[in-house]
Amino acid sequence: MENLNHVLSEIAWPLALALAWLGGEVGRRWLGLPRVSCYAIVGFFVASSQSGFLPPPGGSMTLLANVALGLILFELGYRINLGWLRANPWLGATSVVEAAATFGLVFFIAVIFGQPHIPALLLAALAMPTSPAAALRVINDLRGSGQVTERTLHLSAFNCVFAVVAFRIVVGYALLAGNGSLFEAVWNSVVVVLVSAGLGTLFGVAVPGLLRFTGGLTRHTTVAFALAVVLLTALTQTLQFSPILAALVFGLIARHRRVVLSQAQRNFGVLGDLLAVQLFVFVAATLDWHQVGVGLKLALVVVVARLLVKTGVTTLFARVSGLSWRKGALTGVALMPLSVFAVLLIEQTRYLGGDLVEQLSGMTALVLLLDLFGPLATQWALRRAGEAQPGRED
Amino acid sequence: MPLETFKSSEPLTLGVELELQLVNPTDFDLAAAASDMLHLLGRKPFPGDVKPEITESMIEIATDVHTRHDALLAQLREMRDALVGAGDRLNVAVCGGGTHPFQRWFDQRIFARPRFNELSQLYGYLAKQFTVFGQHVHVGCGSADEGLYLLHALGRYLPHFIALSASSPFSQGVDTLFDSARLNSVFAFPLSGRAPFLLKWGDFETDYFTKMEATGVVKSMKDFYWDIRPKPEYGTIELRVCDTPLTVERAAALACYLQALCRMLLEERVTLSEDGYLVYNYNRFQACRFGLDGTIVDPRNYESLSLREDILTTLRHLAPHAKALSSEPALDELYMVATRAGNHAGFLRRQYGEGGGLAGMVEAGVRGFRSGVAS
Repeated sequence: MENLNHVLSEIAWPLALALAWLGGEVGRRWLGLPRVSCYAIVGFFVASSQSGFLPPPGGSMTLLANVALGLILFELGYRINLGWLRANPWLGATSVVEAAATFGLVFFIAVIFGQPHIPALLLAALAMPTSPAAALRVINDLRGSGQVTERTLHLSAFNCVFAVVAFRIVVGYALLAGNGSLFEAVWNSVVVVLVSAGLGTLFGVAVPGLLRFTGGLTRHTTVAFALAVVLLTALTQTLQFSPILAALVFGLIARHRRVVLSQAQRNFGVLGDLLAVQLFVFVAATLDWHQVGVGLKLALVVVVARLLVKTGVTTLFARVSGLSWRKGALTGVALMPLSVFAVLLIEQTRYLGGDLVEQLSGMTALVLLLDLFGPLATQWALRRAGEAQPGRED
Repeated sequence: MPLETFKSSEPLTLGVELELQLVNPTDFDLAAAASDMLHLLGRKPFPGDVKPEITESMIEIATDVHTRHDALLAQLREMRDALVGAGDRLNVAVCGGGTHPFQRWFDQRIFARPRFNELSQLYGYLAKQFTVFGQHVHVGCGSADEGLYLLHALGRYLPHFIALSASSPFSQGVDTLFDSARLNSVFAFPLSGRAPFLLKWGDFETDYFTKMEATGVVKSMKDFYWDIRPKPEYGTIELRVCDTPLTVERAAALACYLQALCRMLLEERVTLSEDGYLVYNYNRFQACRFGLDGTIVDPRNYESLSLREDILTTLRHLAPHAKALSSEPALDELYMVATRAGNHAGFLRRQYGEGGGLAGMVEAGVRGFRSGVAS
């Protein structure tokens, strides 16, 4: 018996991943659920807080999840065309208004629910982003192509940047309010944001340059970029900067600095597929069932408000930005996913004192709800927009 | 449905249709953007005609009826600018070229319209493999018989149009070694090729169309994918072998080359016979495979000719006609293509060779379409 337990604990993670993968395929085939939602459901049930099958999260698994998200953010950054903002300023306006309105409304709701200012601000910042992990995985699974797809990707990238910056500023403000160290406050907001973006830029310039220098190794760019993302993530995590921001900026700069065009594999091929399973299981496994009840009502209201405000803003700006009302509304719905990004944002700032967000009322329920319904909303919106590849989801 | 009557139209008038590619400016793969583009373009008057094609990553534009090169070119440029402008607002790039060099045909989404869905059902993968992009030129004919005369007389010059317009060297990610790989996709269709050698519209109707219709294989002229086909409802013949060039300037030049040829053929009234088609397929293959470097055989005296030389000879012969039609700039451009610049297939191959890769070829095509310069 002891032996069996030992074996089980040793194979807990690999087995959980295999189960999640299986769940993803079964759920997609029979229930029509997005794969990533199924990964999350399995992750939630095998978590240490629930069945206790997995060991408590931490260590190398956190790094792995950060790498997985880093790869996704790099790919997202690489698909962002900043020139589009110049050609269509209304897209930029949509993004700013959408993110700001989400922040404002969620803050307002949290205050109404009796939350103190700092937790309310943190919740508002964490409710802003659209999780690029879920959005990109669903889009790639459906081979989406069209305006809802493109705008979901762009708006997701932008609101993630806004969220990181807002979150860092709130954290800085909280530290300032807490112990009054201005240095620590500035360091954890402004400096972290700038240095992370700077490191991403450095990689974005250096890696394509290196590839060019070594001479047309176009076939190997996928591996080269993947390794660079791993290195960048490890580096920023160790130095306690923001791996999220760094990876996103890396992708963005790499795209705009490219000289030799190459067809890097979508999703980073099999590597990306594999890491995505781990990422979604890991994130769901950080959730504790007992926490779900705390602020469940608040979470429900936030989910609905967030959906309404994002959809409202994208619909409002649809016509002027060259889109039909309908596709504008569907873009807003597609922006639902939240979980992975928010959780890793929290994980990456745990060193600041986990208690800052640990007791964030409603957060666990919010993450759990959107883990399931976020990808589902994106999938639904893409299908309704006619942007999914019918019958071909590989 | 019986064959429509052939409407008479002003001889030597021109109309141009271009099938264009919609691509994603990030990876330069085809983008399913036709519906979104048409929605945006539908908000204000379009300087011409724009409509969907069979897959979501294609869009087709058509000019009004023109008699002069300058007016034709002006309208094509206006339409191009409108398309490029709409594309910029939607993060969609527009480009010419007969094929997309690396798209995978099974990824193409069929545009939601009953006719397209029917075609897709009937032809299966051919319909999606038919994600190729051509330029069609209509020439007005005074009568149906005049149309049939021109149709068969032009057979001799078909390789010229193939070689001059060729812009599809790559397909499904590989260099096909053809200058126009697109035509190979067209040839796969059962009703492609040449029209039967009949010079009277009445004979065409009784000896051919009515019989074909009785077989149940065809319902209207639309079901024929011939290289040149009569279009009775417009009173035109339609040349369909050209790849969509990378620039609208080249498209206008090709149309005016056809116009000048027709003028010459109407004046000179050449004698035609079925023998004119002896080497038709061979010559067409030479032009597709080798472009301007092809060798064709003259069906009248069985002599081998350099296709390039034959084009240059023809261009010189057409000079007075071009003058009369005010289309000298068009013929000058083609002269430059045949002598120095080469066709767009060569331009695209050079992009690939210089390290641009597959996506780089498309990017060069996008730049060329926008600026009007691709050589």
